Amino acid sequence: MSLGSSSHLSRGLSLLFLAGIVTAESSEDGIPVTDPLVIAKCGTCHASDERGNMQRISWARSTPEGWQDVLKDMIVMNSLSVTPEEARPIVKYLSTAHGLAPEESKPVMFDAERRVREETNIPTDTLRDACGKCHTFARVLSWRRSPAEWKQFADSHSKRYQVRPKPEAEAVAFLTKAAPLHTPEWDAWNAGTGAPPLTGRWLVTTAMPGRGQYYGEMQVSRTGEDEFNTSVSLTSVKDGSRLLRTGRSTVYGGTAWRGRSAGAPISPDDPSSDAREVLWIAADHSSAEGRWFWGQYQEFGFDVKLRRPAAGPTPLIVDRSSLKTGSRANRVRVIGQNFPAGVTPADLTMGPGVVVRAIVSSSPGEIVADVDVAADAQPGKRDVVLRGSSSVLAGAIAVYDRIDYLKVTPESAMAAFGDPAHPRGFQQFEAVGYQRGPDGKVHTADDVELGPVDVTWALQVFHAPEDSSSDFVGKMSPSGLLSPSTSNPNSNFDTWVIATARDDKGADGEPLVGKAYVVVTIPTYVFNGRQYVRDLDRWVDDGPAPH
Amino acid sequence: MNEKMKNSFLAWLFVFSGVVAVPHAAEAHHGWEEFDSTSEVTFQGTVTDFHFTNPHCVVDFNVKDEKGQVHKWQGEFYSPFELGRKGWTAATLQPGDKLTIAGHPAKNGALAIHITSIRANGKEIKP
Repeated sequence: MSLGSSSHLSRGLSLLFLAGIVTAESSEDGIPVTDPLVIAKCGTCHASDERGNMQRISWARSTPEGWQDVLKDMIVMNSLSVTPEEARPIVKYLSTAHGLAPEESKPVMFDAERRVREETNIPTDTLRDACGKCHTFARVLSWRRSPAEWKQFADSHSKRYQVRPKPEAEAVAFLTKAAPLHTPEWDAWNAGTGAPPLTGRWLVTTAMPGRGQYYGEMQVSRTGEDEFNTSVSLTSVKDGSRLLRTGRSTVYGGTAWRGRSAGAPISPDDPSSDAREVLWIAADHSSAEGRWFWGQYQEFGFDVKLRRPAAGPTPLIVDRSSLKTGSRANRVRVIGQNFPAGVTPADLTMGPGVVVRAIVSSSPGEIVADVDVAADAQPGKRDVVLRGSSSVLAGAIAVYDRIDYLKVTPESAMAAFGDPAHPRGFQQFEAVGYQRGPDGKVHTADDVELGPVDVTWALQVFHAPEDSSSDFVGKMSPSGLLSPSTSNPNSNFDTWVIATARDDKGADGEPLVGKAYVVVTIPTYVFNGRQYVRDLDRWVDDGPAPH
Repeated sequence: MNEKMKNSFLAWLFVFSGVVAVPHAAEAHHGWEEFDSTSEVTFQGTVTDFHFTNPHCVVDFNVKDEKGQVHKWQGEFYSPFELGRKGWTAATLQPGDKLTIAGHPAKNGALAIHITSIRANGKEIKP
């Protein structure tokens, strides 16, 4: 067995060959493998040295998804025989003893969270071409290896996938520095791993595109050393509706939460849907963040943040994200816990130019205030601070003079028609207002995000005759959900998703309009005898085309 | 990378450039064949929006005709990755920028061009 190699060496040859590799890799200390099941299942091919280092495995670390991919690879390519009951503890052991420290896994979490993200950290065009054509660069950086192991991996990977131009030298030079086996973060983290202290009560804040913000609690109970049951109660900030979810989770290496939870869904975009949970847990176990997601293409999901309750007053969320200069008596709800009795306007501050005129009501879980904004207040983000609280809602409210443009997010996206084997792929959009920022230009880094804007939605196929219907491609819901047509027209369509503001107008006096570019695709296609299916923003080879 | 992902991006490019033999692919995501490459038109216009998006970047611009009537045009060209390599960003074109823009017109008469050159605010920007 070898990691990432397509060739299956005969047992005798492999042992001779691998003995040499172990010697070569020994120039850098490996991570001894101590788990009996891993030794039994992997040791047939991966030779061990006298220190317990197993060839290749001892010089690599990764996420649960990384090790799971390797195990699948070994089963498919190298005929490894493992049962599901054996596979789970193998992945658990490897992603714990050969895992990533929280600081190492956080930058690559978006890959496990199934988010589409433009990657700007790929160092060269060669590596962008070699790696980025087939998968995210985050997938590469979710591994840590010794220099010898990076070289062997790059050589075998390049050979297996016929990567041209050959990127091995450039890749190894970069990755041995960017993703080394031994790091101070890993040394510090590995020394302290154990059963993670996660049981009990957590405060939850979430946001779901098209549905808005939710807040609530999660109760966690332990069912094994690193396995948990969960019960979540959430309340919508927008309409007060309640969600109840129950689930189970495994925590790998004390930091990687991987679970499933469900409620009682009645539609594809129902926030009660059965969801995969991927969370990054902070090193001190006081907070966690990530995504709960579902859908044929994981297109639906919550952005989730957890934190441990504090003893004192804790503001969690504000019900509005922006306030206009010169406006008066804006009603603002601050939601949290342990708010004291008798809150006064002087106890609540929202930054320069924003005056809390009156406290309309207060309870342990909510403060309602009337707020004025000075006509000459400087546009920008403001912190919300409650006196006596140790936590601050940083940048929770934006002050603006006018909405300069609407950004429809995601700005470019895919949706898919369905067929008997593939459910439709939906796409949720949201129209977000922006102020141009101090530089006076739009679409620059200093633009101020103002939050969701009330809009109407429309769909328009590129180059279609004016006033023609685009219903044959799909329809937009009032909340911005694109539902492709149920009949597959066997074609792809470039379309604009168009948001028109109900109330807000641009400098020309016309309603603000924002657009996103979405390609509504066929679910599969055949090329050179192979069938391709969609995976997030890429097409992947799904094997020989069915006859 | 798993076995499934081999050649995925190449496949993406093929299917979205109308090259691959998918049924009705020519009617699918428009490749540049929707534009008449034998003809070129040039306009003086004003930028209304710039979409630095995949799979193509798009410039929305207004053109005023001799009668003073304003027509809303759409110009399409490279991907953000390709433009980014030439130094472009989402802020390269701003609403209100004055344009001289040339390109191949859409064959079906839609107010759309495949951009071949842009001069904004008197300065040429080569895609």
